[in-house]
Amino acid sequence: MPSADVVVIGAGLAGLTAAIAAAESGARVHVLAKGHAATHWGPGGIDVAGIPAASTPRDGIRRLAGQPGHPYAFLGDDVAAALEWIRPHLAAGGLEYVGDLDTPLQLVPTSIGGTRRAAILPAGQAAALSPWAAGERLVICGIAGFKDFWPEAIAASLSRERIWEGGNRPASVIPVSVALPGLAARHNLNALEIARRFDDPAWRATAIEAMARAIASVPGSGGRVALPAVLGIREHAAVLVAVQQRLPAAPFEMPLVPPSVPGMRLYAALRAALIRAGGRVQIGEMIERVEHDGRLVTAVVSAAAARTFTVRTGALVLATGGIAGGGLVAERDGRLREPILGLPVEAPPADDWLSVDAFDPAGHPLEKAGIRTDAELRPVGADGASLFDNVRVAGSLLAGERYIRERCGDGVALTSGWRAARSLSAVPAGHAAEPGSERP
Amino acid sequence: MTIAELIRDASEEAVGYSSDECIKCNVCLTVCPVARVTDLFPGPKYVGPQAQRFRTGRAQPVQVPGVPFALSPDVTVDYCSGCGLCTSACPAGVKIAEMNSQSRARMKAGKRPKLRDWGLGQTDLVGRVGVLFSPISNWALANRPIRAIMETTIGIHREAPFPKFGRRTLQSTWKRRQQRRGTAAVPGPERAIVYFHGCSANYYEQHVADAAIEILKRNGFETIIPEQVCCGLPLISNGIYTEARQRAHKNLDVLAPYARQGYRIIGTSTSCTHTIKAEYREMLDIHADDATVVANATWDICEFLLDLHEQGRLDTGFGRLDEDLPYHAPCQLRSHGIGLPAMELFALVPGLRAADMDHDCCGIAGTYGMKKEKYPIGMAVGAPLFDKIKASGAPEAACDSETCRWQIEKATGTRTRHPIEILLQAYRVADAAGGTKRGPLAAAGT
Repeated sequence: MPSADVVVIGAGLAGLTAAIAAAESGARVHVLAKGHAATHWGPGGIDVAGIPAASTPRDGIRRLAGQPGHPYAFLGDDVAAALEWIRPHLAAGGLEYVGDLDTPLQLVPTSIGGTRRAAILPAGQAAALSPWAAGERLVICGIAGFKDFWPEAIAASLSRERIWEGGNRPASVIPVSVALPGLAARHNLNALEIARRFDDPAWRATAIEAMARAIASVPGSGGRVALPAVLGIREHAAVLVAVQQRLPAAPFEMPLVPPSVPGMRLYAALRAALIRAGGRVQIGEMIERVEHDGRLVTAVVSAAAARTFTVRTGALVLATGGIAGGGLVAERDGRLREPILGLPVEAPPADDWLSVDAFDPAGHPLEKAGIRTDAELRPVGADGASLFDNVRVAGSLLAGERYIRERCGDGVALTSGWRAARSLSAVPAGHAAEPGSERP
Repeated sequence: MTIAELIRDASEEAVGYSSDECIKCNVCLTVCPVARVTDLFPGPKYVGPQAQRFRTGRAQPVQVPGVPFALSPDVTVDYCSGCGLCTSACPAGVKIAEMNSQSRARMKAGKRPKLRDWGLGQTDLVGRVGVLFSPISNWALANRPIRAIMETTIGIHREAPFPKFGRRTLQSTWKRRQQRRGTAAVPGPERAIVYFHGCSANYYEQHVADAAIEILKRNGFETIIPEQVCCGLPLISNGIYTEARQRAHKNLDVLAPYARQGYRIIGTSTSCTHTIKAEYREMLDIHADDATVVANATWDICEFLLDLHEQGRLDTGFGRLDEDLPYHAPCQLRSHGIGLPAMELFALVPGLRAADMDHDCCGIAGTYGMKKEKYPIGMAVGAPLFDKIKASGAPEAACDSETCRWQIEKATGTRTRHPIEILLQAYRVADAAGGTKRGPLAAAGT
C-alpha cells in the first residue's frame, strides 16, 4: 500500500497537468485512471476559448469570464501562465505548439469538411492558422483505401462559402488521392497503423515521395495541403520536417475520428513529463471509495484482483471528466451523480435534458453540469462552504463551462489542473504518514 | 438448468455482454502491443466487442445453413497475446482481453489442440520430464539442430528463450530438507505463509524460491510448501480450459484449507498469483467458495512485502547497492491493480537507482512468443524495451515474471532477476558490513 502526497483521479489533460505540476513541486504523486479517454478522443490542440464573438483566445476568456458561474471567472487570469508553463514539457516530448492567447482565432478546416475556431495548435496542424492569401489553393490529399478521410467529400464541402462563414477562405479546394506502399490491399486501415508506418524512416521516404508526386500533379502551385493526421507518433517531429521539406505546398494535419493520433502524441508527451518528474501512473483502475476524516481525504481505494488497492494520501485532485468521461453519471430518475466523492452536482432539471435540439448552437444544457467549487477549486456545498479542504476539482467536471460549444475545455483543463497543484502545494505537507514510521 | 449452471452462464455473460458497453472509440487499439507491430492482428476492438455480436454463449458457434463459416467470425483472435492492456485502457469497462480469451477457447473447444499448444500448456509435465532427464534435456534445448527440428515439427521457434531445467524439483529438494530437519510443529498463520512456487521456481529457477524463503524468514515467516500443480495459466492462454479447470481444482483443494485457517498464500510468479486471484473465477468460471477464499488469501510476494512495510513490520536493513537497475513491469502484474510494489521496495534500498522502463509488453506473453509464427511478433513488441535496457548499460535488470525475464535476458544479454533477488542481495550487503536489522525485530530486541 503506497502513500502519496497527491492522488490524482483521471489521466486526461486536467489530471496529467495537475500531476506534473504537483510532482514538479516535489510532491509524491500517484495518478489513478479507469482508462484512456479525453486525450485519445480529442484533436490534440489547446482550445482556450473558441467562441464566434471572440477575436483572440484572450478576448474569448474575457467574454466567458463575464458569464455567471463560468470557471474562467476565477481561472481566466491564470490561463497565460499555465500555457507558458506546459509548453516546455510538451516540447521535451517532441511537441511544439504554435500560437498564444493573442493569436487571432482562425477558422481551421476539418476532416469532415467543416471548420472550427482555433488559435493554439501543435506544429503539425499550425499551417492552417494563417489567413488565406488571394488566389491561394488548398489541396486535400487522401490516402487510397483509408476510410476515415475522404478528400472528394472534404473538398466539396470546403468549397462552399458558408462553411467559412462568408470570410477569408482558400481560392480553390482540390482533392487528390495517393496510394502508399503496402496499404492499398488493406481492410480496416486506421490512422494509427498509418502513423506507425510513418515512424519507419525507409517507409516514410517512399511514402512522402509518392505524396509529393501526387500533389505536384494537381493544377496550380504552392498553397497548402491538408493531410490526415497520421504523420508519425514516436517520430512525429522528424516526419513533420521531412514532409515540410519535400511537399510542394505547406502541409498541415487534419485530426480524425478516434483513435486520435495527435491526441495520443499529447498523452505520450504528458505521461513522459510526469514520469520524468517522478510521478506514478496506473491506468485501468476503478475507484471503489475514498476514505476521509471529516473534511480531509485520507486514502483512495481502487478495485484490484481479489482485493482492493489503497493509496494513502495527503490530497486529492478529482479530474474524472464530465458526462462523456464518466465523472458524472446520470441516474434513471433524472439526477446526476458524482460517483467518487458523492459531491453535489449542479445540473439543469431533468425535464430540460431532452427539451432542446442536440445541435442547438447554444449547446446542450447538460454541458454546463458539474461540480461547483470556490476559487481554490475546492468543492463547495449549496452554502458555498468547502466540503473537503484537501480536494481540488479540475477539468470538465467543473460546473459552468460548455466545453464543446465554447471550445474552452482544454484551457479550463490545463489551467484548473495547474492551479489545483499550486493550490495544494500551499497545503502543509505531511498529511500522509510515512510508511513504516509507526513501529509496533 | 441447475443453479450452478445459471451462475456459470451469468458470469460468462458478464464478460461477453460487456461488449454492449463498447462505444467503438478504439482506445484499446492504441495500447495493443501486438497490433502495434503486425498486420496479422486487426486489434482488440475488431476481434473483441466488434466480433462479439456474431458469437453466442454456447460452446459451439452457431452454423448457418449455406454459410460456410461459423458465426464466430474472426480466427485472428488467436493472435491476441492476452496481455490485458486493452481491458485496462478501455474507458467504458469492456472486458476485451477476457472476451478474446473466451472466444479463443470456444473456437478451439471440441477440437484436438495442436500438439505444440497442448505441450506449451503442460508446463508441469514438461518440467517433470525435463528435470528427470535434466542434463540431456538442457543439452537438447541448447542444441541448434534439435531446436531447428523442434521448430519444423512442432512449431516452437528455434530462438525462443528456454531456461535451464534444475537438477531436482523444488518440491523434492524441500521434502529432503524437511526430512533432515525432522518434523517440527507448523507455525500458525501469523508466523508462516504458504508458498505457491509455480512451475518456474519448481523446475527452473529454484534460486527465486530460495530468495523468497530466506527473505520471508528474515521477516519472521516460516514457509510451508504444499503439493501443488501448475496454476493453469499456460492452458488458459492456449485455449485449453477443461484441463486448466482440473489444475485449478487440484490447487484449490490443497490451498483452501490453509486459506480458511488464515494463512496467506504467497507467490513469486506474478502471473500465477493473478491466475489464482482473478482468472479461476473470471475465466474458468469456478464459483465454489474455495475459489474466493483462496483468491482473497493470495498475494504476490512484492505486494506482501510492501504490505509488511506499510505495517512497519518489514526489516528495512538493506545494504547499499550502488547501481542502475532497469525494471520492467509485466503485463500480468498490471492486471493485479496493485501498482508497482517492486519499485516501492527498491526505493528502500540505499543507492539503488531503479528505473521503470514504462514499456507495454516484453512480447513473450507467457508462451505466445515461443511459437514459431509468433516469435517475430514477440520480439518486435519487446524491441523498444530491449533497446532501452541495452542503452542503460546496466549490468542487470529486474522483472517479476519468469517468462519476461527469460525473454529480456535472451534479447538483451542482460542478466534479469526477480525483484526479491535484488532485495536479498541488499540484505546480504548489510550482513557483510555487519549491519543490524531495522524494523520490528530490532524494535522488539532493543
